[in-house]
Amino acid sequence: MRRPLVRRLTALFAAALLLPAVAGCGVDEDDAGLVIYSGRNEKLVKPLLDELEKAVGTTVAVRYGESAELAAQIQEEGGKTKAGLFFSQDAGALGALSTKGLLEKLPQASLDKVDPGFRGGAGDWVGTSGRVRVLAYHPGQVAKVPDTVHDLVKPEWKGKIGYVPTNASFQAFVTGMRVLEGDDATRTWLKGLKANEPKVYDNNLKVLEAVGKGEVSLGLVNHYYWYEQVAEKGEGKVKAKIHFLPGGDAGGLVNTAGVAIVKGSDQAPVAQKAVDFLLSEKAQKYFAEDTKEYPLASGVTSTVKGLPPLATLDAPKIDLGKLESLQETLKMLQEAGMV
Amino acid sequence: MPSTDPVTPTDPATAHRPAGATTPTGRRRAGRRPPAVLLIPAAVAAVFALLPLGYLAVRSLERGPAFAWEVIDDERTAQLLGRSLALAAVVVSACLVLGVSLAWLTVRTDLPGARAWSVLVTLPLAVPSYVAAFAWLSAFPELAGFTGSALALTLVSFPYVYLPVTAALRGTDPAQEEVARSLGHGPLKTFLRVTLPQLRPAAAGGAVLVALYVFSDFGAVSLMRYDTFTRGIYTSYRASFDRTPAAALSVVLVVMTILLVAAEARTRGRAGHARTGGGTARPAVPARLGRWRAPALAWCAAVTGVAVLTPLATLGYWLAVGNSATWDPATLLDTAATTLGVAAAGAALTSLLALPVGVIAARYRGRTARLLEQSAYAGHALPGITVALSLVFFAVRYAEPVYQELPLLVCAYAVLFLPVAVAGTRAAVLQSPPVLEDVARSLGRSPLRVLREVTVPLAAPGVGAGAALTFVVCMKELPATLLLRPTGMDTLATRLWTETGTGAFAAAAPYAAALILLAAIPSYFLGRHRT
Amino acid sequence: MTDLQIAGLAKAYGPGAAPVLDGLDLTVPGGALTAVLGPSGCGKTTLLRIIAGFLRADAGTITLDGRTLSGPGVHLPPERRRIGIVPQEGALFPHLSVARNVAFGLTGLDRAARRRRTEEMLELVGLAGYGDRMPHELSGGQQQRIALARALAPEPALVLLDEPFNALDAALRTGVRADVRAALRATGATALLVTHDQQEALSTADLVAVVRDGRVAQCDTPHEVYSRPADPWVAAFVGDAVLVSGTADQDMAATALGRIPLTDPPGRLREGVVLLRPEQLRLTAPDAAEASGTVTDVRFYGHDAMVTVAVDGIDEPIDVRVPSPTAARPGERTGIEVMGEATLHSAAV
Repeated sequence: MRRPLVRRLTALFAAALLLPAVAGCGVDEDDAGLVIYSGRNEKLVKPLLDELEKAVGTTVAVRYGESAELAAQIQEEGGKTKAGLFFSQDAGALGALSTKGLLEKLPQASLDKVDPGFRGGAGDWVGTSGRVRVLAYHPGQVAKVPDTVHDLVKPEWKGKIGYVPTNASFQAFVTGMRVLEGDDATRTWLKGLKANEPKVYDNNLKVLEAVGKGEVSLGLVNHYYWYEQVAEKGEGKVKAKIHFLPGGDAGGLVNTAGVAIVKGSDQAPVAQKAVDFLLSEKAQKYFAEDTKEYPLASGVTSTVKGLPPLATLDAPKIDLGKLESLQETLKMLQEAGMV
Repeated sequence: MPSTDPVTPTDPATAHRPAGATTPTGRRRAGRRPPAVLLIPAAVAAVFALLPLGYLAVRSLERGPAFAWEVIDDERTAQLLGRSLALAAVVVSACLVLGVSLAWLTVRTDLPGARAWSVLVTLPLAVPSYVAAFAWLSAFPELAGFTGSALALTLVSFPYVYLPVTAALRGTDPAQEEVARSLGHGPLKTFLRVTLPQLRPAAAGGAVLVALYVFSDFGAVSLMRYDTFTRGIYTSYRASFDRTPAAALSVVLVVMTILLVAAEARTRGRAGHARTGGGTARPAVPARLGRWRAPALAWCAAVTGVAVLTPLATLGYWLAVGNSATWDPATLLDTAATTLGVAAAGAALTSLLALPVGVIAARYRGRTARLLEQSAYAGHALPGITVALSLVFFAVRYAEPVYQELPLLVCAYAVLFLPVAVAGTRAAVLQSPPVLEDVARSLGRSPLRVLREVTVPLAAPGVGAGAALTFVVCMKELPATLLLRPTGMDTLATRLWTETGTGAFAAAAPYAAALILLAAIPSYFLGRHRT
Repeated sequence: MTDLQIAGLAKAYGPGAAPVLDGLDLTVPGGALTAVLGPSGCGKTTLLRIIAGFLRADAGTITLDGRTLSGPGVHLPPERRRIGIVPQEGALFPHLSVARNVAFGLTGLDRAARRRRTEEMLELVGLAGYGDRMPHELSGGQQQRIALARALAPEPALVLLDEPFNALDAALRTGVRADVRAALRATGATALLVTHDQQEALSTADLVAVVRDGRVAQCDTPHEVYSRPADPWVAAFVGDAVLVSGTADQDMAATALGRIPLTDPPGRLREGVVLLRPEQLRLTAPDAAEASGTVTDVRFYGHDAMVTVAVDGIDEPIDVRVPSPTAARPGERTGIEVMGEATLHSAAV
C-alpha cells in the first residue's frame, strides 16, 4: 500500500532535482557585456534599461533587488563582483559603497552634468533623478497650507496628519533635518509630531488617498505619487493637492536615485557609456515623464504639466552622502515610538 | 539460624527491574555510533547548514571582539530580544492549539470533508508573512503592533505544527487509545493523556520551527511596525549599510536558536515514542463527533477562512480597485513554472540532505547525534538576508562558477530550510519501532539497505510531508532568491516583490494567488495517500 | 550442527554504571533449543542483543560454529552473523506482505527459488496461503509464526527468540509454543529462547540457562535444573520451593519435617537449607507423620491444589501440593510426610 508512495516520492525527487535545468531560463550573465545591480524597481526602470542596452551596444543583464541589500552584496563580493554598474534608489547606499572605496571615480565630464548637490563628494557616484518631499493637503479642509514642517506640531493639526514612518524617503527627510538643524531639534520635532497623533499608513499612495477622502487634512509624501495619480485618473479626480515647501525647509528635501561604476569588474568602459546614457536627455526625459521624477542633468527640464522646475524649488542644501547615517535616525524614530 | 530461605524472589517478573527501563523496542540505541553510510551524508548536510555561522564569525569579528560585544551588550539588544521572545511564545502557543486541534479533527474524526480540510488548512503556509500582514493591516489598521504581528505570523505558520502532528497521528497505534477508553477515560481525557503525549515529539519539532520562523521573520513585523530582533538586524543593513553589527546581532540569534533546540531536545526526554508492538497497528476507527460536528466544522472553517480567505479577499480587493492590472498571463505561467521547478529542486535537495540527519536524530543518542541535529538548526533563525550574504561570501570565494546560477540557489534553499525537512523526517522515523531495523540487519541487510528498504519506506509519509513543507517555503522565499537567482530569473515571490514595490497591488495579486494555489499541489498529493 | 560459545561476556551501559552482564559464560549445543531464563533486568535481553550484534560487549568473546562473532577487536555487524531473530510481538514489516516479509532475508536466490522457499516456510509454520496478506490482517499468534518463518528462511546458524510468546494469550501460547518447537526441530536449527517464564523454559527447551545478575547461575536440562537446582535462588525461580533448615548426617538431612535422603552427598557442608518441591510433601492424618501442623490456606488449581500448613517448630508456613480434590480445610490439624530426595544448600547465598 505504501510502496507506490515511496516509488512515487523517489521519482518525484529525482525529477525535481532535474526540473530547474528544464525550467531554467534567463540571460547568461557571462555573455553579458554589462551587469547592472538595480535597486530601482523593475517596473520603474525596465523600459529605460532596454533603451540603455541599445545605446551601449552590448548585452545588458539586470539584477533587481533592494538597494541596501545589493550594496551589502557588492561589499561581500569584494573585488570579485559581477556588477559593472550599481543603480541605486537612494544616495545612502551609494555613499556607503563610496566610503568603502568600492566605486570607480567618474570622469569629470559626467559629474559636471549634475549639480554638485546631487553627486558624491568623492566624485564616484552621480544622481540620475530626484524626488521632492511635499505636503499633500485637502483643499476643502485646509485654508492655509503650512510652509514648514515645524508647523505640523501645532495643536491645530492634531489627528489630521497622515504619514508613513517606515518609508525610506520619510526617514531620509528626518536625516536631512538632523543634518540641517541638529539632533536635538529633530528629536523635539519628532516628539511634537508624535504628540499630535498623526495617522500611520503603509505607503505614500494610501496617504494621498486618505488626504483625498478627507480622512486626514495633511500628508507627508513624495511629489511624484501625486503626478502619477493625476496621470492615471485625471486631474479632476484627484482631490488632494500638493504643496512644495519653500525657504529651504527640511520638509522639502530632494532625495536622489543615482548610479555608480563598481570596482573590480572589467566592464568599466561599457559602464561608463551606461552612466552617460542615464544622464542623456533621452533618459532624463524618461525620468521626468514616466516616473514623474525630477531630471537632474543640466539642460533637461521636466515636461510634466504643473511640475515646478527644480531650480525654483528652494530645496534645502545638504550633502546627500551624509544620508547614509540613517541608523541614528531610526533610533530617534524608535525613541519617539513611531516605528 | 534462619529457618526459611531469605532470598525467595516472590515475583520474578518485577524483581531486578532497573528503574526507568524502557521496552527493548522503544529505546534509542544508547552509545552506538551511527554507521558511516548515515554519518558521512549527515556531516555534509551539517557543514552546509553551518556555512552561515562561519560567515558570521568572520563578519562579526571584523572589527575585533570588543566592537561586536559593544553591539551585543546594549540595552536595546536585550529589549529587542525580549520582544522577539514574547512574540515567539504567543505565536508558538497559538500554533500548537490550531495545529493539534485541526490535525486531530482531520485525521481521527468523522469530520465531513476531512480530506478537503486537510488540504485547505496547509494552504496558509504559502502566504508570505508580508502578504498576510498587509491583508490584516488593510482591513484592521488598529492591529498594528504586537497583536497584528502575532496574528499574521500564527496564521501563516501553524501548518508547521499541523503537518508533522498529522503524520504522527496516523502512525500512532489506536490500540493504546482503546486501552485508555477501556480504562474509563472519556475521549477528551484519552486524547490528553494518551494521544497528546505521543504527539509531543512531532508537535515540539513543529513548535521549534514556528519559533525560529518568528525569530527570522521580517516581512510581517516590519509592516506591523513591531520591533523585533530581526528587524534590528535589517535596520543595520538598510539604515547604516553596516554588516558588522548585523553579524554580531545575528550571532545572538544563533545562540538563542541553539538554546531553544537544546531545550526542545531535553523536553523530548528519554521516552521512546515508538510503538512497542511490531508495527502491525490497524488503522484507527474515526471518532464520532456527534453533536460536536457543527462546532468542529465551524472551527475548521473559521481557521481556514481567517488564514486563507483574508489574504485572498485582499488580493481580490487589489484586483478590483487597482488600475495596474495589466498582467500578462504568459509571464505568470512562465514564472509559475520556474517557481515550481526551483522550489521542487530545493525541496528535493533539502529532503535528501535532511534524511540522514533526521534518521540519526531519531535513532541515536550521544554527542555526535546531538551535534548533527543542532547544526542543522543553528542558522535557521537567521534572517534570509544574512544567510544569503553568507552564501554570496562563500560562493564568490570558493564556488565562483555556480555563483548566481541555479545550483547555488537550490543549495541556498537547502541551507535555509534544512530543519523543516529534518523535523519531518525525525518525527516520522520515531514512529516506526527500531526493532524492525534490527530484524532487517539480522536478515543480512547492510545499514544502507536497511535505510532504503525499511526505515525510509516506513517514514515515507513523514518525509513526504517534510518535503511538501519545504517546497512551499522555498516557493515564497525572497531575500536569498533576489541575491542568488540567475540573472533574469523570476519566481512568483520576486514578481510579487517587484509589483508591490511600486504599489501595483492589482498587478501583484495574480502572483500572490498563484503562490497560494501552487501550494495546494503538495497538499493534495499528500492528502491522496492517506490510508 | 553449530555450537554457540560465549565466554566472559561483560557489558555496562556507560562508565561507572552497574554491569548488566558480568562475565557471562554459556555454551549452546548445536541443534538444541536452549532457554535463557531469568527475571526482568537480569541481562538476558542485553545478552540477546549482543549475540545478534546490535550491541557491542565491553569484554568477552562469542563464537558460533568456530567463527568469532565478537571478541577483542572483533565485531561482526549483525547482517554478517547469520543469526535470525524473532522479537517480541513479531515485529513484522508493516509495509510488506507476509510473503515479502518471509522472503526479506532471502538474498542471493533467484525469484523462483525465493518463492519456493517462502512457500516452504509458510507451510512449515502452518500458514500456507497467507502470503498475500498484510501483517495487520493476521492474529497475534499468526504474526509470531510468520516472524519465525522469516527468521528461519535464510537458514541461519542460530535463531534468537526474544520472549516471543509474551503477547499471546495463554490458550494460544501453548499451541504456538508447540508449533515453534516443531518448526525448529524440523529445520534442526540451533535456537536460543529468552524468557522470564519458567514454565515456558522448562516445557519448551532442551536446555535451560538460568541467568541472575548478569551471569549464568545454572545451565542444565530442564529436569536437572528443577530437581537439582544449583542454589535456593535458582530453585525458587524455576518453581515453587519449600525450604527448611537442616543438618547433614551422612546422606541424610535432619529437619523439622524429619530425616530426608539427599540426592548428592553433602560434602563438607553440615548446616544448611534443605530444598524440597511442594509435590514431594504429602498430607497425612494428624500424628501419623513425624511432623504436623495446622492448615492455614487452600488454593485450588483444577488439576491439583496447594495447601499451606503452619508446621510446628518452623516459622514460615510450608506449601504442599496435593491431588485435587482435597479434603483439607483451613484450621484443621494435619500431618506432613516427605517423599523422595532433597538437596542441601549452604544457607548463606
